Amino acid sequence: MEPVSGVWGYVLFWGLTALAAGIFFQRFIQITKLISLGREGEKPARTMKKILGAIGHFIAQTCQFKNIRKKDRAGIGHLFMMWGFLFFVTYYFFFIIIASGFGVPQMENSSVYVIYCWIMDFVAPFVLIGALWGLIRRFFFHPTRLEGQRTWESLIILITVLLHPITHIGKIATQIAAGVAPAGQGMPNPPISAAVAHLFANTNIPAWHTFWFWAHWAFVLVVLAIIAYTRYFHMFAAVINDIMLPERKGKLALIDLKDQKTFGVGRVDNFTQRQLMDTYACVVCGYCQDACPANYTKKPLNPRLIVRDVKSNLMTNGPLLLDQKEPSLALIGGGKEGSIAEDALWSCTTCYACMEVCPVYIEHVPKIIEMRRHLVQIESKFPPELLNLFENMEQRSNPWGIAPSDRAKWAADLNVKPFEAGKTEYLFYVGCFGSFDARAKQVTVAITKILDAAGVTWGILGKDEKCCGDSLRRLGNEYVFDRMARENIKQYQDKGVTKIITECPHCFTVLKNEYPQYGAKFEVIHHTELINQLINEGKLKLNGSVDVGKMVIHDSCYLGRHNGIYEAPRAVVKAATGKAPEEMERNHKRGFCCGAGGGRMWLEESLGSRINIERTEEALKNDPKTVCVACPYCMTMFADGLKDKGVDNKVQVLDVAEIVAKGLQK
Amino acid sequence: MAEEEKKKVKRPLGHARLKPGKCIACGARCQSECKVEAVEMNDKGEPVINLGKCTGCRRCIRICPAEAIEIYFTPEEQKILDELAKQQTGEKPAAPVVEPVDEAAVKLAAKLKEYKGVWVFVEQSEGVPAEVSWELLGVGKDLAKTRNVELCAVVIGDKVKDICQDAFSYGATKAYLIDSPVFLHYRTEPYYKAVCYLINKYKPEIVLIGATGLGRDLAGAVATDMATGLTADCTGLSIDENGFLLQTRPAFGGNIMATIKTERTRPQMSTVRPHVMPLPKKDPACKGQVVVESFPLNEKDILVKVLEVIDDRKGAGDVDIAGAEVIVSGGRGMLNKENFKILQELADELGGVVGGSRATIEAGWLPVERQVGQTGKTVRPKIYFACGISGAIQHLVGMQDSDVIIAVNRDASAPIFEVATYGIVGDLFQVVPGITNRIRELRKAKRNTPSAENTACVPEDKTNGTS
Repeated sequence: MEPVSGVWGYVLFWGLTALAAGIFFQRFIQITKLISLGREGEKPARTMKKILGAIGHFIAQTCQFKNIRKKDRAGIGHLFMMWGFLFFVTYYFFFIIIASGFGVPQMENSSVYVIYCWIMDFVAPFVLIGALWGLIRRFFFHPTRLEGQRTWESLIILITVLLHPITHIGKIATQIAAGVAPAGQGMPNPPISAAVAHLFANTNIPAWHTFWFWAHWAFVLVVLAIIAYTRYFHMFAAVINDIMLPERKGKLALIDLKDQKTFGVGRVDNFTQRQLMDTYACVVCGYCQDACPANYTKKPLNPRLIVRDVKSNLMTNGPLLLDQKEPSLALIGGGKEGSIAEDALWSCTTCYACMEVCPVYIEHVPKIIEMRRHLVQIESKFPPELLNLFENMEQRSNPWGIAPSDRAKWAADLNVKPFEAGKTEYLFYVGCFGSFDARAKQVTVAITKILDAAGVTWGILGKDEKCCGDSLRRLGNEYVFDRMARENIKQYQDKGVTKIITECPHCFTVLKNEYPQYGAKFEVIHHTELINQLINEGKLKLNGSVDVGKMVIHDSCYLGRHNGIYEAPRAVVKAATGKAPEEMERNHKRGFCCGAGGGRMWLEESLGSRINIERTEEALKNDPKTVCVACPYCMTMFADGLKDKGVDNKVQVLDVAEIVAKGLQK
Repeated sequence: MAEEEKKKVKRPLGHARLKPGKCIACGARCQSECKVEAVEMNDKGEPVINLGKCTGCRRCIRICPAEAIEIYFTPEEQKILDELAKQQTGEKPAAPVVEPVDEAAVKLAAKLKEYKGVWVFVEQSEGVPAEVSWELLGVGKDLAKTRNVELCAVVIGDKVKDICQDAFSYGATKAYLIDSPVFLHYRTEPYYKAVCYLINKYKPEIVLIGATGLGRDLAGAVATDMATGLTADCTGLSIDENGFLLQTRPAFGGNIMATIKTERTRPQMSTVRPHVMPLPKKDPACKGQVVVESFPLNEKDILVKVLEVIDDRKGAGDVDIAGAEVIVSGGRGMLNKENFKILQELADELGGVVGGSRATIEAGWLPVERQVGQTGKTVRPKIYFACGISGAIQHLVGMQDSDVIIAVNRDASAPIFEVATYGIVGDLFQVVPGITNRIRELRKAKRNTPSAENTACVPEDKTNGTS
């Protein structure tokens, strides 16, 4: 009973195997060539550590665990299939390729084989369940996450997965029925295979065995052949993606304004190789489209389609570019697959929700920003409202074009000192909202009270303070951002600044994460973190009995997902009020954006419904008296949303600092 | 110097010299003041004076804010001076002293004298003149009167002769007309060349242009070609005692007013934004002289072609709130679309228009072109009513430059009151109709007693300032 026998048997076995491997490698090389069209980009540091980390993530499937929720357990099905797949691959290697392909049938005459068949007997049903679950879910239950993804491709993939355990059990069962290994080893037979073996009693067992063997191997080869043509490819691309991740999520490339001919991405080969490769990792799972606030509110942006379109564009234009020809499909424009609409690019709030949930380490937001850079800096095409903003930023270094001399007006009646190295430990970088916006100015004052109460020495730059440039960078106006960043850093260095407190999470992100790209080395801390630190050190005494009624907390994307700060604001308000704030349905890493990030603050929201209304309604489900925020953008958006819902006289928005300031011990 | 010539002794003027350590590097004022280009600036921003060129005119000394430049004399010069001083103290001067003549200054004065008259460029599109041109004729008339020169209009276009008569009725006494199909639509090249041609031929001393999209483009091109100064967005124009045009404009974010003079080149050019200057009274009976000029220009020599003119005016109901003198704006506090009726009534009474905050546009209560604020229009009307608008910063930046802001809001702590000239804390549904009715009453009273003072439409009377 040897399914691969005789010269023709081996010719067929290896011929088919070589054919499948050939198809795989042909495509693999083609993809490699296409990806190599991209720019080199920054090399990832500490490669070895990252490789080990990526393998660890792969084996442990951390990418799945982060997305398994009560409402969406589909990740479990993937765990079944993925871990099952590892066992199957091992099985193929030893007991098909070596045992049958190289004609070493003795391999099956060992107790190891029996033990392995026992393991496979338990693995196979899980793979079967995983695949059936996927099929049923996808084609009968229609979850929103998989909207528009009931495709032939996913059907073929799930069916090929489904056939592996079936054909495997068929092969073992016929072996058992024939009375050869594993039964021949004098050990008990694996139960499922043994049960199935009874079905083959009184049939032509060797014929059935040959059938199951070849059917099994044929499906394995089909999978091998189609890996690089389908999202099966993610098993390679995702791991490489993980290794190539920049040291900080969503890190934006620095443009050398003196050197480069292209500022941003207007053609697919302007992307970096990593950015092109990660499109091949996409498994169309739809987590990103479900998490995206723009997509959620029916705007033309769907992060999944951004990835798909970049990939399609590369597939269409790549071969032309390799032949030194002009591309035939515009990357930015929209209208068909492979081309991205401008409206989609401008809809992004850069909240990182898509990148947070992506199981295969795709970075959507930097791609969007690169394309915005192209629109702004090369084509000078952007929503008309931005003209005002860009002009104001360039001329007055604030978004509204208010006279720079008004920047320190909030401090007029207070005893606020300018920053002086040696005399003041911290620079309090107030930011544009904290300096000019009437509501945010109250937060600024609250922070100063807290700092004074805790005995922190601090000073401000006053009217010399300039905008950090966050909105400009997100909107793609890198040219002006670059200048502002360099000016700011020089100013801080000249003044001898070493530690900076920021009021706004956006300033925080820019100063902490992005200025180091220009060689800055400052210790930057957001006010919520500093307050938390002061409480823990016992420097700040709170009475712990501030009463702001029932309170829900909202995570700022730029504090949370951008910087991983979730607990400091919660701990601080808990210390001030004596009880933990309530959570909204979407919280922490899954927090929903207020709608103002990514420069959206300065744009009209005319497409779809309003993000801030969506979030306000979510907050109101908890029936709060207070919505607690830690960002002036979020504050503005909530205040607006509450007014819109007509509840602004019942529900208030307070910054963490304001709640703390109410509870300062005199 | 002429020491031997006892009969004609020239009084030596000396040379300018920098006092060490005194210069504050103010920005090369001495250099720009020097008529003979004797001053160069070094890397530190300090002047290096070329003694060969220096005429000792002392202009740099006068302009220096730090008193860092002084006059010094060579020993020979000092000797002459001493001698002269001796003679002065004596009974009679031995020889007549000839005061030196600043040749450059004389030349310049002669050049400046050649330029005469005040010109206003009359902007038109499709034969319809822009109102800002008439506003400029109003201020131009005052300038021309002070200078005792003619006020002329410059009309360029295709079949635009009628506009000359309009210009006369707003105060011009002469109009230079270039009428040719080439000028049908505005294009930078033909227009600036035509204007420069006229300037070179007739040499006006002042040229005023409206600071519209077209005007800003044209003025910059003309000034560059004429190598003269241009002051953009002036808010005040007058003539100083020496006959120079004083051009006043806000600088540094409106924190200071800068007054700028064009001292050495001609013409003196300014642009003024629409609605900054008052519109003069029209008198159709006024007549003037039309000077028809032709400027030869071939269509085929112009690289820019106008393919199509796309009208972005949406319809008859379209209102340009940016140009309105009175705006009655509503916010979320209006509660619904129907309530805007009361704002419309007030606006009608004052000859104004209705605008709104972003929220009202979002809610569909007003069309999008009525939006005031950061992402809408920036307005600066004479009177701005903010009714039920709390005054988020995005809104404030769009209207805070209005002459008078009257805010009506229930919430006394609303930020709108920080910028309001007059703030009324109260229910806008009572306050707004109240204001409207009071205006109507006053109008009626005025009609009945024609001699009543013209205060009917000044709403300050009725507001209780609480801000």
